Amino acid sequence: MSERKKLDRRDFMRGAAAAAFAGATWFAAGSKAEDTVWQLDPNKCTQCGRCSTHCTLNPSAVKCLNQFNICGYCDLCFGYLHPGSRERDTDAENLLCPTAAIERKFIEAPYYEYKIHEERCIGCAKCVEACLVFGNGSFYLQVRQDICVNCNECSIAKACPSEAFSRVPASKPYLYITGDTPPNVVR
Amino acid sequence: MFKGVNIPDLSGNRKANMLAIGSAVAVSAVAALTALALWLGSGPSVAVYTCEPGQDGRPEGLDALGGPIDMSGVFERFGDVAPEMPGAWVRFRGGDSRNIVEDGPPLANAWPETGLPILWSVELGDGYAAAAVLDSRVYVLDYDPKRRADVLRCLALADGTELWRRAYEVTVKRNHGMSRTIPAVTEKYIVTIGPRCHVVCLDTATGDFRWGIDLQRDYGTAEPLWYTGQCPIIEGGRAIIAPCGEEVLMMAVTCETGEVAWSTPNTHGWNMSHSSIIPMTLLGKKTYVYCALGGIAGVSAEAQDAGALLWERPWDAKVVAPSPVQVGDDKIFMTAGYGKGSMMLQLSRDGDDWTVETLYERVPKEGLSCEQQTPLYHDGLLYGIMPKDAGGLKGQFVCYRPGGELVWSSGQDNRYGLGPFMLADNKFFILDDEGELTLLDATAAGFAPLAKAEVLDGHDAWGPLALAGTRLLLRDLGKMVCIDVGAKNE
Repeated sequence: MSERKKLDRRDFMRGAAAAAFAGATWFAAGSKAEDTVWQLDPNKCTQCGRCSTHCTLNPSAVKCLNQFNICGYCDLCFGYLHPGSRERDTDAENLLCPTAAIERKFIEAPYYEYKIHEERCIGCAKCVEACLVFGNGSFYLQVRQDICVNCNECSIAKACPSEAFSRVPASKPYLYITGDTPPNVVR
Repeated sequence: MFKGVNIPDLSGNRKANMLAIGSAVAVSAVAALTALALWLGSGPSVAVYTCEPGQDGRPEGLDALGGPIDMSGVFERFGDVAPEMPGAWVRFRGGDSRNIVEDGPPLANAWPETGLPILWSVELGDGYAAAAVLDSRVYVLDYDPKRRADVLRCLALADGTELWRRAYEVTVKRNHGMSRTIPAVTEKYIVTIGPRCHVVCLDTATGDFRWGIDLQRDYGTAEPLWYTGQCPIIEGGRAIIAPCGEEVLMMAVTCETGEVAWSTPNTHGWNMSHSSIIPMTLLGKKTYVYCALGGIAGVSAEAQDAGALLWERPWDAKVVAPSPVQVGDDKIFMTAGYGKGSMMLQLSRDGDDWTVETLYERVPKEGLSCEQQTPLYHDGLLYGIMPKDAGGLKGQFVCYRPGGELVWSSGQDNRYGLGPFMLADNKFFILDDEGELTLLDATAAGFAPLAKAEVLDGHDAWGPLALAGTRLLLRDLGKMVCIDVGAKNE
């Protein structure tokens, strides 16, 4: 049997320093990862629909928001009504949203409020596209941070054709279309 | 008994066995029924929502209108002096309803580098109502949100001084602006249509009230989305209006008395659009052409059969803002936004029998389409600004052959949104959403800009242009300005 090598003081100090450095590096890297989350830039989004089909969650963690202070509160809302709808009412056959996630409510003539039911929204972006083309563009998608599991490699980000996904600081996790305007949105 | 198989003798215990089997069947049946009840009672695995009409709480009928209003309103006079100025713009798209000025004074081909001087400006309530001009006076149907009133304002063309105003109270809330329309003016009468479908006739010289019609109350008109954009016309002392009510599609009202001279039945229940009635002479017949929500129709404008429906063609556009465009002697180009596109109609007649043939229908990505402004037809070509759903041509000023082929476009660096445009002295004037005015050479074979100038602060500079002499009147959401585009500025 070979004689066991005795650990001298120099080797011990070297080992301790290496362990401290590795720990500090791991801690720093770990802290940094925790400080960022996935989010999509609505100005880059092309409403391709992949947010609804490529998220590891079902339904997707990407949801539609309605930015109150941009919404026209229109009676004829192209984000709410199907292009072929015969009436401007709440009948299922007139709705654009495939899951009836948008609730329409009469406020006062001629205004209607549109509210998103997030538990129904699948992030398909049909309403976003229609509102952008024919309306004020108040509907847009965001990753809901209370639902997202923050995968290391976001499968939607990987599939996004316009590279709209990026990691943003967790302290400021939403990219509102009004920039720094407070989240004056309807969910 | 089976040979070679040992079967225990059960005869002594038959009763107990039968009881055991019966119990097992009973327990299984109860379990199955319980499972079935649980399955039926648990509901679907995915939530189901009921979506039925009326869940938004929309009110019905005239309740939303409030009470009848006094359309005679209140008159205020501030002055009498309007220095004499040349030129007139008597109604929407000018006197011949083409939005083209061919016999006016020469206009500048270039503008000063310092920009075009603003001769005068006037603050207006939010909206798109634009000017009519006659006898050195400008008429604009404004909306005053503080007073909650439609206000016909008479200004001096020379300096914008307000000479008089007549206001009637009506509630109009901001819904992409408030005011919309352009008055029709003759030497004797002014006729206006307010955003809530109130038709009012005044005396041009004095501003005295003559008569008023509430189209919603009197004719059952359904107020269009974002209020009405229909501009009236006056022909032969009669106001020509399209109520699109329960019974009347179009009618002529004698300006002097307010009596209905003729009316055309609304047999298909079409609704009022933002489009306006355009007088045309088609195959030798004077015709009023109007595109309602539901279809487009030609109505006789000749004395012997005035008001008779000559032809009609259904069209299911949700929103129609542009007006019909005459193409040659026997064709009509019609376009609408919000995904609809355009169509070209070919008319033919055999005596009093008219037929309408559709030469083509195009979606916005396939051909000329306009969302808000009416295209121009000049020297065998159609001009317009493409809508937001026109793909790469979105917002571009374009030139098309009537057959549907693109001739040229303004390019991706020159987009104009929903702004107005007109043609005068062989030059296009195009105002973009933000108030930048562009001058184009209309004699060139392509997009040929001559000058640009910021004339308004924007935004939503969508009110149609009016040109009287060399004075051009333009507006954005809240302000009207007057500039001189005459040749002397070169």
